[in-house]
Amino acid sequence: MTWAEFHKEAERLANAARIAARKGDRENAVSFYKQAAAAEMQALNSLDPSKHRTIGITTVSATSLLYKAHDFGQAELLAHRWLTKDNLPDFAAEQLRDILQTIWSETSLERAGVRFFGDEILVSVKGGKVVTGGAPLDLVVLKVEQVSKFLLRTVEWLVHAPHRKREAADPNIESLCQPWVFQAAPGSYQFAVRMQEPPQLDMFRAASVEGRQVAAVALEIMRASIEDPERNLAEVVPDSEYRATFLRMTRNLAPSGPHASFDQVEFRQAADQETAPVILRSETQQGITKFLRKQVSRPQVAGGLVNEVEIQGVLRNLSLDKDWIEVVTGDDQSKKKYKILGTGDAVDDIIGPMVNKMVIVEVWDMGDEKYKFRDIRPLG
Amino acid sequence: MDGQPGNTSCPENKDRWSSTTISKNVLPITIVAQLVLPISNLDERHPGLTPAVASCYHEAARICLDRHHSSPVSVVIDSEGNQTQVLIYWNAADARCKAAHAYEMKATEEGAYACALAAVEVTQGLVAISQAESKTGADYYMGTFEQPMDDLENSLRFEVSGIARCNQRAVNTRLAMKILQARSGKSNLPALAGVVGFEAQLIKIAKVLAP
Repeated sequence: MTWAEFHKEAERLANAARIAARKGDRENAVSFYKQAAAAEMQALNSLDPSKHRTIGITTVSATSLLYKAHDFGQAELLAHRWLTKDNLPDFAAEQLRDILQTIWSETSLERAGVRFFGDEILVSVKGGKVVTGGAPLDLVVLKVEQVSKFLLRTVEWLVHAPHRKREAADPNIESLCQPWVFQAAPGSYQFAVRMQEPPQLDMFRAASVEGRQVAAVALEIMRASIEDPERNLAEVVPDSEYRATFLRMTRNLAPSGPHASFDQVEFRQAADQETAPVILRSETQQGITKFLRKQVSRPQVAGGLVNEVEIQGVLRNLSLDKDWIEVVTGDDQSKKKYKILGTGDAVDDIIGPMVNKMVIVEVWDMGDEKYKFRDIRPLG
Repeated sequence: MDGQPGNTSCPENKDRWSSTTISKNVLPITIVAQLVLPISNLDERHPGLTPAVASCYHEAARICLDRHHSSPVSVVIDSEGNQTQVLIYWNAADARCKAAHAYEMKATEEGAYACALAAVEVTQGLVAISQAESKTGADYYMGTFEQPMDDLENSLRFEVSGIARCNQRAVNTRLAMKILQARSGKSNLPALAGVVGFEAQLIKIAKVLAP
């Protein structure tokens, strides 16, 4: 038989596996993937060594099929064998290394007895101070915290939990999304966030939500927030309180211009390479801020409209229950504290990650050193 | 069943040209003929698709089209700057079909495959000749129907993306991103990138060649 005949058979079996998987028939899916992998390996062996591109494509295909058949040992063996050969094109070598890395992390998690649901969200931070495989620790910690809170909010939204401003998350919901951070394949600085499967999923079942939806919905919300916050986001998230919270969370994930230690952050579902990633740049922050400004009208005092002021400083202190935050500007010699009142609609999840960090607070100057809170976003 | 041979409600099954004929007095006058985008029965023309996969993509496309339009809808295919106007005919998805494609992002992606593959077929005469697995999905490789499939050395890898709610700008941005993605790093080139904007009634296709 020729490469084409073996490959055609592998295609047919892989499609049968995909259809079985779609129906939830995992056993048959794995069996079809195994047979497809065997056919693809025969296709690979029957190829003329001069056909480099076809060799690359077929090697990746066979290794992927073994991985999908959960035959990690054979997948590793095949990938290693081909990675040592000279005629493997670069694109194939890169994809094989990616599969190997996934296999290793899945194997170690299986050994540790940890199970996950849904897809991973891959987060790539690029530019500025970020180098391949490395980034400032505080930036990484901040992004991990922000992404985790975004996922938690998405779960709350999916299970129809009431919108929360000050309260801690319901422990039952929090237990649904214990985020884990994984090392991802190098390329700028990347990490993956995945949620640990809780002991029971009753809350999801009651709301007819599938765990796998969480990552996809979170990315859909982000995409709608940047592409069309007025129309698309309102369709995806009809609840206005949730919508405002998601908008600010998306905005705060983006870099804030020349002060930022990174240029852009990308999000994609690990299992979905077809869909373009959601990319947040400083323009994202500007665009959402502009949109949010339009939503609130400027208050009036006796002398007319109040002045709008931006205060840049470190968020040092806050008591959202008592309706204020405190921002410190300047250095030791010219230090100045601003107590900003009226944080009424501010949400804990949004402000929390900014404590002790540089921020931009938009306020209304009510006169006599009194400032009314409008909005807050990270500077950096 | 919609989309099956013999179904006369979808002109896409009969031929690729749709025309409107009006009887005025006795003489029939054909007003206009417009190209039809053949999104059904893709497996009959694309050897890289099985009937089950083609049917799944077609169902998903009907759901995506239902969200914003009613049949027929006029769509522009922008292939490397050359614009072609086509009509898409479909039967509205029933409840069972909707339930089977309830996961919106997946439906958009699969619906985009039906439209993008048909668009490349109509504008460039290329069909999916093969499919190869990647870590998380599968890539299609495009060639001509007559071309013997001895290998994939000169075939074009097809990267497809779909957007449900969008305007033309969003489609342009997505395509630019796809091209950038395909060009950066160690990509498997040559490739074709295609973006289907369901609401915007726009399909954009561009070739990405190895440097």
